[in-house]
Amino acid sequence: MRIRLDRLSKSFGAVQVLHELSMTVEPGEFLVLLGPSGCGKTTALRMIAGLETASGGRIFIGERDVTDVLPKYRDVAMVFQSNALYPHKTVAQNIAYPLVLRKTPAAERDRAVREVARQVQLDALLDRYPRQLSGGQRQRVALARAMVRRPAAFLMDEPLSNLDAKLRVHMRSELKHMQHELGVTTVYVTHDQIEAMTLAHRVAILNQGRIQQLGTPREIYNDPENLFVAGFVGSPPMNFLEGAMRNGAFAGPGFGLNTPAAAHAGAAVMGVRPEDCRTVAAGQGRIEAEIYATELTGDHTLVTCRIGEQFAVVKMDKNYEQAIGTPVGIDFDVDHAFFFDAASQGRIRMPTTPAPQSA
Amino acid sequence: MTGAVPPRSWASRLFEPRRLGRQAPATRVLVYAGLLFWTFVVLFPFYWLLVTSLKLPIHVADGPNYLPFVDFTPSPHAWHYIFVEIGRDTFRPYLNSVIIAGASTALAVVVGSMAAYALARIDYRPKLGTIGLFVVALAAVVVAVIAFGVPWQLAAVAGIAVFVFLARALAGRFRRSVGNGDILFWIISQRILPPVVAAIPIYVMFQQLGLLDTHLALILTYMTVNLPIVVWLMYDFFASIPTDLEESAQIDGASRYRIFFDVVLPLAKPGLAATSLLVLVLAWNEYLLALFLSTVDAQTMPLLVSAQNATRGPQWWYMSVLIVIMILPVTAVAVALQKFIARGLLIGAVKG
Amino acid sequence: MTNTTGSEWLDRQARWVFLMPTVLIILTFSIFPLLVSAYLSLSRFKFVRGGFELRYIGFRNYEKLLFGSEQYHFLGKFAAMGVWHGLLLGGLLLAFGYWLWRYLRGGGAGVVGLLGRLIFMALALGLVALASVTLAPGGALGSLMVTLFYVIVGCSAQFLAGLGLALLCAQPVVGRTFFRVVFFLPLMVTPVGIAYTFRMLADMTKGPFAPVWAAFGLGDFAWASDAWSARLVVVIGDSWQWIPFIFIVMLAAIENQPRDQVEAAELDGAGPWRVFRDVTWPAIAPVAATVMLIRVIEAFKIIDLPNVLTNGGPGIATESMTLHAFIAWRTLNLGGSAAVSYMLLFVAIILCVSFFNLVVLRYREHGR
Repeated sequence: MRIRLDRLSKSFGAVQVLHELSMTVEPGEFLVLLGPSGCGKTTALRMIAGLETASGGRIFIGERDVTDVLPKYRDVAMVFQSNALYPHKTVAQNIAYPLVLRKTPAAERDRAVREVARQVQLDALLDRYPRQLSGGQRQRVALARAMVRRPAAFLMDEPLSNLDAKLRVHMRSELKHMQHELGVTTVYVTHDQIEAMTLAHRVAILNQGRIQQLGTPREIYNDPENLFVAGFVGSPPMNFLEGAMRNGAFAGPGFGLNTPAAAHAGAAVMGVRPEDCRTVAAGQGRIEAEIYATELTGDHTLVTCRIGEQFAVVKMDKNYEQAIGTPVGIDFDVDHAFFFDAASQGRIRMPTTPAPQSA
Repeated sequence: MTGAVPPRSWASRLFEPRRLGRQAPATRVLVYAGLLFWTFVVLFPFYWLLVTSLKLPIHVADGPNYLPFVDFTPSPHAWHYIFVEIGRDTFRPYLNSVIIAGASTALAVVVGSMAAYALARIDYRPKLGTIGLFVVALAAVVVAVIAFGVPWQLAAVAGIAVFVFLARALAGRFRRSVGNGDILFWIISQRILPPVVAAIPIYVMFQQLGLLDTHLALILTYMTVNLPIVVWLMYDFFASIPTDLEESAQIDGASRYRIFFDVVLPLAKPGLAATSLLVLVLAWNEYLLALFLSTVDAQTMPLLVSAQNATRGPQWWYMSVLIVIMILPVTAVAVALQKFIARGLLIGAVKG
Repeated sequence: MTNTTGSEWLDRQARWVFLMPTVLIILTFSIFPLLVSAYLSLSRFKFVRGGFELRYIGFRNYEKLLFGSEQYHFLGKFAAMGVWHGLLLGGLLLAFGYWLWRYLRGGGAGVVGLLGRLIFMALALGLVALASVTLAPGGALGSLMVTLFYVIVGCSAQFLAGLGLALLCAQPVVGRTFFRVVFFLPLMVTPVGIAYTFRMLADMTKGPFAPVWAAFGLGDFAWASDAWSARLVVVIGDSWQWIPFIFIVMLAAIENQPRDQVEAAELDGAGPWRVFRDVTWPAIAPVAATVMLIRVIEAFKIIDLPNVLTNGGPGIATESMTLHAFIAWRTLNLGGSAAVSYMLLFVAIILCVSFFNLVVLRYREHGR
């Protein structure tokens, strides 16, 4: 079902954590709310669930206005970060609980529980208690409990963040597959950008209670709307060099380069991703720098370069080796560079890089 | 820092809990001496009760007699008297005590836990003006009944009517409201109230209702005096339980009531156990209010114990039997709940 | 989907369904009697033909307690105040003044806080003055001071003993569970039973310790006829019952304390006393403060022990305020009884609330 937020606001006392948030989650869509801690993403999710009341604005699930409806009548299912399993109930009882509450006949309930347990490969563990399960198994129980009653929407609050790194990768793919199978509208909250990029149909990036950008992972990555989005998405993060733009040139302390003519003039920030850069011999690149540190991460080497007082990271081949202090040049395609207004933090669009069609 | 390790005194071991194999023999002796000394202090009165229950009056009057068979010949006469001769008069107060303590504890724990849970989870903002108005209305009823002899039923109805009418009319005029903390404090402060303050009016109230010397009167009274303790301890306990589970149940479709009984209470078992035991013991052993509110039919065990202090002087041997059989059931409950008690009381006391 | 408006309505009323029973019960059986009692304390109760009569007499009952014929009973017999008492009170006044000045200078002072402190100080000064004139030679304690003696001396002794036992029991000893269960037992005994048991035990000639007394030449000393020894026996009986309560909670607090903090302090070279003072005590202090508050609240209501052990005697030497009120009730002086109860309520509430605000809250904030 479609979920629509219409100018949704939330204040806790004098602190406003959500500012007139509007967005629509399409039926069957997997939408990820991404942002740093305290950006209001969890609050937004809890408001959709009905665990927090709205200070302003409306929430619609399907065609129904649920703004003032109690959680139990909203027909959504939620998976919590802590997985929130009932410690005094077995796995089977945990999964069956939503159906028990709906007074589903026992036979039908058992069938549904076994069916769901098979889907998440828990069939052998139905009689265990949560404390006898591993972290991944517990999270699967929580998922099964959400799935068992076919809700109008899934709400997930960082469900993977308590798992270890390896398990998280595995569960991520399981989650994606399951959501695809069931085709249930899903709103997923996370602060982990990899999770967001890999899982989402669309990502909404939140900061300080406002949506910064809403789009597909590719749009977000390739065409950030502002400095915050550009810096938040990508690992290692985008390099930012501060400088000023004047007469079609961008210059900062220790460097200067020509850019496609832009109307903008004044303080600006240039961003370029580490994987779009490479180091070349001194004097051959666009910017002169010296090597500050090199780190081998396995499949590639991260080279930190110093440009005057600023730093930039370049992603190089795993066999790259250079002594610290060696002067180098940094080269990149100007089409891959982004420019932002230093004051408004907004993107400065270049005439030669037209924005890709948004989906 | 110097490299030398200072010699460790006995006190250093004293203040370090639970480290095996690091105690000097002298420390060990001191620790065990302390523990055994207190074991003696605790157990000796119980021993004395037990031997006294086996003594004939002459053995007691004879001066200290310590060991049965050595210092005196034990006789089951007191046990025989309590269980057989006046068996019926022992059994009835015993049953009364069980019913009254059990029922009042169960009620206090259920009702008090509900209030504690609500205060821990829901925001209340009652208006200060409404509360003030209510107290004024209540005081007016009291004065009307006592000073002007208005029948209490009429006064109560009139008081409620006036309160509702004025509350509606004045609602919103006094906007200052109080919070959960104030309500909690108000409930807890009722425990400071000495029972004597309330005993006389409660006596009159139950007299008017024709409930004097009934189980119901004592159950209601004990429930009331123990409610604050339940609310206090359980509030802290509920506040320490994470809210995730309840929210999850809420979304899954459980009502508040269902959540409370299905999810919250099972999680609060240690707190419930500790609180129940404390309240049970207080109700089981209560003397003063029972003295006010019961005479024959609802007489409880503490009254029976003190009734052995007859005109001939205290009948120590009978008393000892009664005290011993009074201790047994609560001790059994305490031992059964032993593992919960420390944990339950602690959480109550740590979290605020 | 089950969306019946009836059940949703019921669900929304949960906030009242949960809280109201408690509020109504307390209003009916606690606040209502309290108001009736307030009225009783302002009137004289008399049996007349065919019933009884209540006559409103204003604050006459309180007047009698504080200044009139009941003064010796409630406040005690006053001896002349000596120089030392004056100095003591002056010093206390100065200390309070300094404390108040620091509070006002410290910022965050509010009207309620200031008022609360002033009320507390006034009461504390009054009680200390009362203590000094009644404890002086020629004076005698009234039920107010006796109650405070039970509360202050009794609770302090119980706390120290309970904490000491908890520290002992937290050692690696064999049979910890045994000690824990045994130490808990006295809490199970009805106070009336304890009182009678201690009457047996404290019997100087027929009790189990008679040979000990005889050996010390105290064979014909009667503790019940000496004011201080009688009070002491009451405190000992009370302590025997309540030390377990403090013991069990403090033991849990000590065992709950994180081991790594103690170990870190030891590695830093802290001695045992410093470890206790700097690590263990701060960790258990909030629990200690709360458990003492619970204990003090209950201790103000002590009645069964003095009633049975000494019947309030010798004279009125062991009469607590609750017992005082009870005896007044038994002699059908209902107004006087209610007035004593109200004085107790007044003193207990001010001291307990002050203790909560000044001690418990502070420790809890420190603990966080």
